[in-house]
Amino acid sequence: MRILLDSVWHSYDGVAYALRNVNIDLSGPGVYVVTGPNGAGKTTLLKIISLLLKPTAGRILVEGVDYWSASSAERARLKSTTIFVHDKPLLVRGSVEYNVSLGLKLKGLNSTDIINYYIKRYGLSDVKNKNVYKLSAGQLKAVSIVRALVLQPKLLALDEPFTFLDNTRAKLLIEDLADLADRGSLVIVASHYMYRDLAEKCRGVIELFMGELISLKRK
Amino acid sequence: MVYLDVTEPIINIVIRSLYVSGVASLVAFITAIVLCYYYSGRSKRVINILTSIFEVLVGVPTTIIGLIVYMLLYPNGPLGFMRLLYTPYAIIIGQFLVALPLAVVSLIRHFYSVRESIRELILSLGLQSSRIEIILVLKELKPILASTYLLAFSRCIGELGVAMIAGGAIEGYTSVLTTTIAIQTSMGNFEEALLLGLILISVTLFTAILTRLLSKLLGEHLT
Repeated sequence: MRILLDSVWHSYDGVAYALRNVNIDLSGPGVYVVTGPNGAGKTTLLKIISLLLKPTAGRILVEGVDYWSASSAERARLKSTTIFVHDKPLLVRGSVEYNVSLGLKLKGLNSTDIINYYIKRYGLSDVKNKNVYKLSAGQLKAVSIVRALVLQPKLLALDEPFTFLDNTRAKLLIEDLADLADRGSLVIVASHYMYRDLAEKCRGVIELFMGELISLKRK
Repeated sequence: MVYLDVTEPIINIVIRSLYVSGVASLVAFITAIVLCYYYSGRSKRVINILTSIFEVLVGVPTTIIGLIVYMLLYPNGPLGFMRLLYTPYAIIIGQFLVALPLAVVSLIRHFYSVRESIRELILSLGLQSSRIEIILVLKELKPILASTYLLAFSRCIGELGVAMIAGGAIEGYTSVLTTTIAIQTSMGNFEEALLLGLILISVTLFTAILTRLLSKLLGEHLT
């Protein structure tokens, strides 16, 4: 999957700009890491890349198609392969299993094996039938990540995925992201922490500051 | 069978009260859901304006609403041809107007915030805004919906103005718990009034307990 940001600007209020003239060409497979201090525009960049947010100015080309000018059907096709994981987990009322399977259910799919595999892998088996509102912050984070992983997307963007995760789960996640990339996906991770494993496995590091692209170091 | 200083058994008055207020609050509740869902897609400014309007409407005395319904249904009024004045339907219409603002105020902000989250969730899972959105929103709001309905019902069953003015408190036809209490008190039948008062309090108390239980049950209910 290839995604190209052409002179992208974004403002939430029309006054301050969260992104300023960002030009990036990312092509999968591979893991890219977006770094930068608070307010650098990491979340905005990820939301724009994962087609959640329409930029105030500029174009997003997905597989060569100008996404926001494309037909509704074309947009739906491109969108269906793109998943975004929020910094603060967005979960719905229901059990862990229900939340993990939600993405698949909404897409009319079902894969009990893969759901069970990831639930077990991330140590959620014991709380599988528990209401998500009774979980710890780390477990909530794991549920939202697992919900994305079971979908095996072509483009996966994760906003601060390591926050609240213990080292064991963080290492598992890095392994899974690298594995997903090995299978052809483009993975983009915004993170304050650069784990050694992640640094070794990533294909490039995007550095943002005050909404501007400072550098894109490719390996 | 317990009779008042009238020919109608108390149970009939209780059943009529439950029926009239149950229907009025149910219609108000459904209307509030439709309104809130429709407007929850608008900007926060619209939500704030609507909330302010409905908060003002919550404060309108039920006697004023009764008067408005009376004027609408009066034989020479705009809806006089429907011949609904002094019928249980007149009370239902009035109580609907009493309960609607309360239900909207109770729901609208929840609808706005939950719908925003659900929409964001659906988009983040690689889907365009979907028809499933309303189902997920309603599911997420289950405890709030339950408490809102019971709140609307409590407001309806405990009001007097509409039932008296638009219903006319006709014995055996439009008399409900609150109107009968008022009439019995005015006749000096304090014991009967007190008995009906206790029944009304029991109904509202039962409703309040049911609200808590239902909210807790739905709040913890899985999937």
